[in-house]
Formats: sequence, structure tokens, C-alpha cells
Amino acid sequence: MKHETIETNAGWLIFLTLIVISIGGLVEIVPLYFIDDTIETVKVEGKDTVRPYTPLELRGRDLYQREGCYTCHSQMIRPFRDEALRYGHYSLAAESQFDHPFQWGSKRTGPDLARVGKKYSNQWHVQHLIAPRSVVPESIMPNYPWLMKNKLEYKDIAGRLKALKMVGVPYSITEDEYKANVKRYGKDVADKLDINQAEKNLLAQAQSGNYDGNKDDITEMDAMVAYLQVLGTMVDFKKFEDGHFTRFR
Amino acid sequence: MANVAVANEQYNYDIVRKFTIMTVVWGVLGMLAGVYIAAELAWPFLNFDNPALTFGRLRPVHTTLVIFGFGGSALFATSYYVVQRTCQVRLWGGKLANYTFWGWQLSVGIAAISYLLGYTQAREYAEMVWPIDLLIAVTWVIYLIVYVMTMVNRSQPHIYVANWFFIAFILATAILHIFNNMAVPVSMFSLSSYSLHAGVQDAMTQWWYGHNAVGFFLTAAFLGMMYYFIPKQAGRPVYSYRLSIIHFWALIFLYMWVGAHHLHWTALPDWTSTLAATFSILLLLPSWGGMINGIMTLSGAWDRLRNDPVVRFMIVSLSFYGMSTFEGPMMSLKSVNALSHYTDWTIGHVHSGALGWVAMISMGSLYHLIPRLWETKMYSEKLIFTHFWLATIGIVLYISSMWVAGIGQGLMLRAFDEYGNLAYTFIESVSFLHTPYVVRTLGGVFFLSGMIIMAYNVFMTIFKGRKEAAVLEAKLAAKLANA
Amino acid sequence: MIEWLTWFTSMENTKPFVLVLFFITFVGIILYVYTGKNRSERLESYKNIPLTDEDEQSTHPEEASK
Repeated sequence: MKHETIETNAGWLIFLTLIVISIGGLVEIVPLYFIDDTIETVKVEGKDTVRPYTPLELRGRDLYQREGCYTCHSQMIRPFRDEALRYGHYSLAAESQFDHPFQWGSKRTGPDLARVGKKYSNQWHVQHLIAPRSVVPESIMPNYPWLMKNKLEYKDIAGRLKALKMVGVPYSITEDEYKANVKRYGKDVADKLDINQAEKNLLAQAQSGNYDGNKDDITEMDAMVAYLQVLGTMVDFKKFEDGHFTRFR
Repeated sequence: MANVAVANEQYNYDIVRKFTIMTVVWGVLGMLAGVYIAAELAWPFLNFDNPALTFGRLRPVHTTLVIFGFGGSALFATSYYVVQRTCQVRLWGGKLANYTFWGWQLSVGIAAISYLLGYTQAREYAEMVWPIDLLIAVTWVIYLIVYVMTMVNRSQPHIYVANWFFIAFILATAILHIFNNMAVPVSMFSLSSYSLHAGVQDAMTQWWYGHNAVGFFLTAAFLGMMYYFIPKQAGRPVYSYRLSIIHFWALIFLYMWVGAHHLHWTALPDWTSTLAATFSILLLLPSWGGMINGIMTLSGAWDRLRNDPVVRFMIVSLSFYGMSTFEGPMMSLKSVNALSHYTDWTIGHVHSGALGWVAMISMGSLYHLIPRLWETKMYSEKLIFTHFWLATIGIVLYISSMWVAGIGQGLMLRAFDEYGNLAYTFIESVSFLHTPYVVRTLGGVFFLSGMIIMAYNVFMTIFKGRKEAAVLEAKLAAKLANA
Repeated sequence: MIEWLTWFTSMENTKPFVLVLFFITFVGIILYVYTGKNRSERLESYKNIPLTDEDEQSTHPEEASK
């Protein structure tokens, strides 16, 4: 075939272009869904320890996205010595397997947050989010005082969990799904993943956690801090021998 | 003059004019947003405790306005112009082209406002919420149909190389947009949605999209621009047509593989990012082939660089293209990436491509296009020179400050003291960044001022063109009355 | 049928195979484009397309207004 055939025929040009631009994506993306080792299995005593977010944490994650936190903070620790010292164990694929969308980020104007959970107290987070420079004088992070003032919207929480269930996150609606979750995560976790109890669970976690230090209201701060405090805490690396996860790399 | 009227009838210039004006408008607004967020990083009080003004919400406004508003409108304008001129046929579909204009402008405008209000998908360069994604998809399909049908109706037997690049850009963007934005909305009446993919697969899909937004939206399409406007402005054909054949196929094939170099050392499997790094290195060849093809078009007419500011815009844009397509493969090496990733080096790299290549070639093409669209000369050639220098100085300040920032921070974060502890805390590296951030903001101010001067020059040209047309019409009417 | 397909799933096989495949394609395209005097001249002749549109009919505003 002459190259002129392509140059004089829009159909050929489009057809060949489509083929040529499809190959790269197909080769790199499709296998990620089929190669088992892509996502590590993280089990302790037969139970998965990486679980979907609770309703309150999920709302916090929504707010994290709303404020564009990902434009300055990554959630992906790389396997380097300095990052291990600064942030902790490198991030596993398993740890973001329920992240729709992923929030690995691409820029660290601020530090990585993949393992920020439980590193600081709730009060520290509240103070830091309201006025970062009152805690870290050199910080260039914006103040987020409205998180403390805005009441948390949670009327659509069941709808949110249902949408996530549709894309493959194991929240449960039916009795069978609930039982499967009990088997996979244990009863405590399975209870929190029950869509029928979503609103009740959200209120209970906000009440008992009291993340924003204000018992009267459930604010956006409650959800945001609940989310930050769970980041990177689902895998207890002390329970695995050294090098256990390297075989997945 | 009668011939101009013929040109206007023969070709649909109206749609090109509309997109040209919006290119300038979005350019000013998008770069203004860019300067503002750059200043926020240097002086955080500028966030003013106002949700809509915070960096996190304004950053997507900046990227969307410059990429899709400024760049997108420039591409619509030039592709509609080029396809008509090289196929020698009027744009197909009559009013359909107008739909693409309003569909696109609405998408960009609504997207920007929705980010300020906090509605986002939190996917870089694809932050638009799902209803806007649908509007874009429909607009894009109509664009594809209009473009293809115009090509099919051509009166010139050959499809000129510029059109190959434009059609590849339209097809690739359609595929990328659809697969990357697949999501399930919370409800019919909610702007929130959750993406279909998660974690590793989502990251791969997003950066397959993200890098090909660079590869096809910001490169292939602007190469289409290069292949038409540089030969036209220089008055001589492109250096080598055979090179352009290799350039085209190699570029569109290789680009689609390289996205995963944004995910080196992450939880993405090694084989994927290694593959991406390999193809990134290979990509240097067609990139430089294209650059050489563009620059050598001027061989034998180098004096044009001295007296024609438009040629200058074009050639400098190609130099920056060559520089950033060398820097890119280098940064995709895993060892370099370990240092550069997550730092401002990446931001500097993007801007040497975006300001140096994309914006400069667009500005050059627009300066070529505008006199032809409004049937007059540019209001001031001197202001084009001024714009050129402001833009060039701005880019140099921007890139060099980001090199210092990125490499400096990268080195600080991996430094150890004699006991093997980290030498610097993270916040110490943030303090170090203040000076480069100030210089970067200054570079942005330079570039923005150039853009504002361009806007002034363009709008004065349009008024001039209209006035001249009115005078001519009056003369013609007087002549007819006398006859 | 399946046996020869599994050959491709091993990276040790796929890498050199694809390398050779791509290389041959690339060299093939280069040879096609750059060999043959007639073909070369023919291909190069298309580069004048953008410059010819004004000749057919003087639609160039600057020339038209002369």
C-alpha cells in the first residue's frame, strides 16, 4: 500500500490512526486488571485489614477532594530511605484499592499524607487546619476555618455508599453481602460497611470520636479529621516479616 | 476587495474569528489565575480565608482555563482554518460548528465556576464534574464529525500533514476523555460521582490520560499548527515531507505508552513504569525530528528572524519544544525521577512546554491569522516585538527559578547528616522555596503582561479592520450611486 | 492454540520479540519513505499544498486589497 492511499482517504487515515494510538494504552492498562500480583493481599489472622472507608471517613475524603488537597499533598510513599524515615513504610497498592478516585497526587508542596493517621492528635489537626501558621510558622498552607463552621452534609450518605458499591467497593445492602463482609473483615468492620446503617454509623462515629472537640455539632471538621486519622493505619507492618511485600514489586 | 468577499463566502471564517477572540480572553484570564496562585505560594495570606480563593480550588481553574480555554480555543480556531484552507472547501455542517463554539465555551466557563464552588472530580486536568464531561463529550463528537466531513468533502486530492495531526488529536482526546472520566454519579441530581477505577488502575488510567493530554492536546495538535503556519509565515514549504510522515506515525504511536512515567516508584507495578520510561526515551527521536523539520523550514531565510516578530515567536517556540522534549525523557529516567518527582522541577518542565512551546506557537499563529481574518494589518508590529520579549523573559525567569526550587528541594529532602539522620525537616525545604517562588511569580507577571499587550493589540486590530471595512463599503456605495 | 499464546505472557519472550517487531516496522517505514527517487519526489511534492491555495484564486486579503 502506498502512503498516498492514506493521504487521500480519510477513512484509512482515521482507521490506522485509531489502531496506532490504541496499542500503548491497551498493553499498559488492561493487564493491571488481570495480573493477580498487582494488588497485594494483606491478611492478618485470615481477615483483610485494608477495609473501605466508614461513612464519616468517606465524607472527609469528599471534603479533601473538594478543597483540592491533592494539588499540594501526595498520598504515595516511595521505597527510599529518606521517605521511610520521614513518612514510614512505602505505600502498598492494597492501601488505595478502595480509593475512587485515587489520591496519590503528583506534587509535594506540603508533606506526604499517606501515613499521617494517628501521628498527631485530633486537637493538633483542628488547630492546624484552622490556622496552619499557628502550629508551623513557616507553613504556606491556606487556612480552612470554614471546616469548623460548616455543618456536615450527610443526608445523601447512603446514596454515596451505593454509588461506590456499584463501582466495586464491598459495602453491604443484603444480608448475604453483610455476612460476606463479616467473613472478610470481622463483625466490627462489617457493621460499619452496612449501607442500611450508614447514617446511624456516621453519627455514632462523629459522636464517639468527637474529632473537632465540639460535642454539640457534627461539622465538616469532624469528617476531615476522621479521614486524616485513618490514612495509612490499616496495615500493621509489625505483623508481617521484613520483605513480605517486596515480592509484589 | 471583491476577492475577499469571495474568501469569506468560500470559507467559514466567522467560526474561526469567534474562537480566536476567546483564545485571547481565556489566555488573559487563565494566566491571571496562574500568577495569582503562584503568588499564593510565596505569600499565603493571599488565600484570604476565602474558600473560592484558596490554592486548592484555584489551581484547577488555572489549568483548565489555560489548557482547555486558551489552548483549546486556539486549536479549534486554527484547525477550522487549516482544514478549510488545505482542503480548499468550506467547513461542513453549517451551524454545527457554532454548536462546538458554544458547547466548548460553556464547558470551560461552567467548569471554572464549579471549581470555585468546590465541585470537582479531583482528577488532575480532568476535574470537571460528570454533567460537564457529558457536555464536552457531545461537543467533541460534533467537532470530530464536522472536521472529518470537511476532509471528506475536500477539493484537494491530498490530505495535508497538518490535518493528520489535528485528526489524531481529535480522536485521541475523545478516547482519553471517555475512558478517564467513567464514573458513577451519586444520584441524577448530584454533581458528585465516584470514578469507575480505583487505586493502581485508576492512577494508571489517569496518567495515561494526563500525559496524553500533553501528548495529543498540547503537542500533536500544536504540531498541526506548526506544519501549516510556519510554512505560510515563512513563505516556503516545510523542510521535509518525508520526515513529517515518520514524525507523525512515530509520535502518535509512542506517546500513548509514556503516561506511567508519572508513577515511577509508586505502587504501580515495575513493569509498567519501566515500559513507560523506555518509550519516553524513544519519544525523543520523533520529537526532535519534528522540531528539526519546523526549524529547517526557515533554512535559507534566516534573516526573517530579524525583522518578522511572528517568525520569531514560531522559531523560539520550537526551541522550547526541543528543550522540553529533551528534559522530559531525562526526567522519565527512574534515577532522575526519584529526585525530580513531587518537586517544582516538574512544574518548571510543564511550563517550558506550555509557555515556551504551546503558548508561543499559538501566539505566532494568531498573529499570522488575525490580519487575514479581519482583512487588515496588525494594529502595531512594535507591540508584537514587545510581547515577544516580555514572554521570553517571563519564561526564562519561570523555568530557571523552578529548576532551583525543584532540584534544591529534591536534594534537601534526601540529605542525611553524619549520623544518618535526615538533614532537613520538610518545612525547612518549604522555607527555602520562598525566593524561587517570588521569582517564579515575577516570571508569570512578565508573561501575563505580554498576553495583555497582545489582547490590546488584537482588539485594536479588530476595530481597525471593522472601520476600514465600513469606509470601503461607504466608498463602494458612493461609487454605485454616482454610476 | 493456548500454548503459543502463553509464550507471550513471559516477559523474557515478549521483550525481545516486541523489540524486533517494532524495530523492523520502524526500519521498514524509513526504507519505504527514503528509498526510490520517484517516490521521494512524489512525496515531497505534497508539501506545497498550503502554499498553493492562494494561486488558484487570489483570496489572500493583503494581495486582494492591492
